[in-house]
Amino acid sequence: MDPHELTAAYALDALDPDEAEAYERHLSQCEECREQLAELSETAAALAFGTAAPAPPERLRASILEAAAAERTNVMPLLRRRWVTRGLAVAAAAVACIVVGLAVSLSQSNKTRSFTLVIGSDRTAKLQISGLSAAPSGKTYEAWVIPAHSSPRPAGLFPGGSSTSVRLRGTVPRNAVVAVTVEPAGGSNLPTTKPFFVSPTA
Amino acid sequence: MNRQLAHLSDEALVALAARSEQSALAELYDRYGRTAYGLALRVLRDQALAEDAVQEAFLTVWRTAARFMPERGKASTWILTLVHRRAVDAVRREQRRRADSLDLASEPAVEGAEEDAFLHLQRERVQTALRHLPDAQREALELAYYGGFTQSELAERLGQPLGTIKSRMFGGLSRMRELLAEPGTETSWTPTN
Repeated sequence: MDPHELTAAYALDALDPDEAEAYERHLSQCEECREQLAELSETAAALAFGTAAPAPPERLRASILEAAAAERTNVMPLLRRRWVTRGLAVAAAAVACIVVGLAVSLSQSNKTRSFTLVIGSDRTAKLQISGLSAAPSGKTYEAWVIPAHSSPRPAGLFPGGSSTSVRLRGTVPRNAVVAVTVEPAGGSNLPTTKPFFVSPTA
Repeated sequence: MNRQLAHLSDEALVALAARSEQSALAELYDRYGRTAYGLALRVLRDQALAEDAVQEAFLTVWRTAARFMPERGKASTWILTLVHRRAVDAVRREQRRRADSLDLASEPAVEGAEEDAFLHLQRERVQTALRHLPDAQREALELAYYGGFTQSELAERLGQPLGTIKSRMFGGLSRMRELLAEPGTETSWTPTN
């Protein structure tokens, strides 16, 4: 069976599981099919609007949001635009990955900036940032890992931009915090400005 | 209802959901929950199963938002694809339609007065496009998408070679795409009440 011919049926969810699996394998190697699938999937999804839409029961919305919240009890949303003292405990469940989500609303620019710190089970970490403008010329953003009772350790430089994912150098020990400052181009060995972002203790 | 995110694009909401913003998930539900539920109900014809399918789909959005790639397609397509897949999986699991006939794909009656104007417009637009398709193509799309039938099941039930079913699906979706892109189909809506 020529997998190229299966794109429409796949977009309509009209393949048997083994056919779908074979098509997905093909898809990973065929740019043409990926493009065609994107188009046909959009059209298939338009069919969803072609049927009557009675209002779902009110409880469905609440049920979804409650279940969603229950799945991320280890996430602590914070509003944080200034230096904070340490000691904000995050109830981190014993899971492979700790996600520390921080959403910062900047009212003056009407833009939402968010920071998400993802710490793997091996304690390596990634900082995902969106809505952060590029660093001014001659400056760079610098991430810091600050272990408890110890001085900040440089953890990487990054230029900012609409969406950035920074893999932090080294590991993030327990009870450390991660901070971001603006530094002269090339970075510094110790922060020279106040952090504009500080994570809860990880 | 918190609508302070109302000005954000669907894709921006998915990005916020990936960062555990619960209000972003709520906003996505407020935008697509009704369409999602209507779709699931059409496929499953059972309120409880439809609710389950919608809930599972939105939780999948919540869990996998970080993996959504906006360059691959619209967020609404992604969400409704997840809903459809859940509904189709459920209907196949239940095997409830197997005892039934092909007319299962026909639309259940719903009081139009309850629908909001925007959804009514969208629905008319898609229905108009479907009416412009050759009967065989429309039948293949409706039975596959709303009925949850696989291409092999359709070939068997319609007594057609598999290749014919495949080309009807492909021809039907491609033609739908053209029809929906035509501005004319959008203006065919007239108020019915």
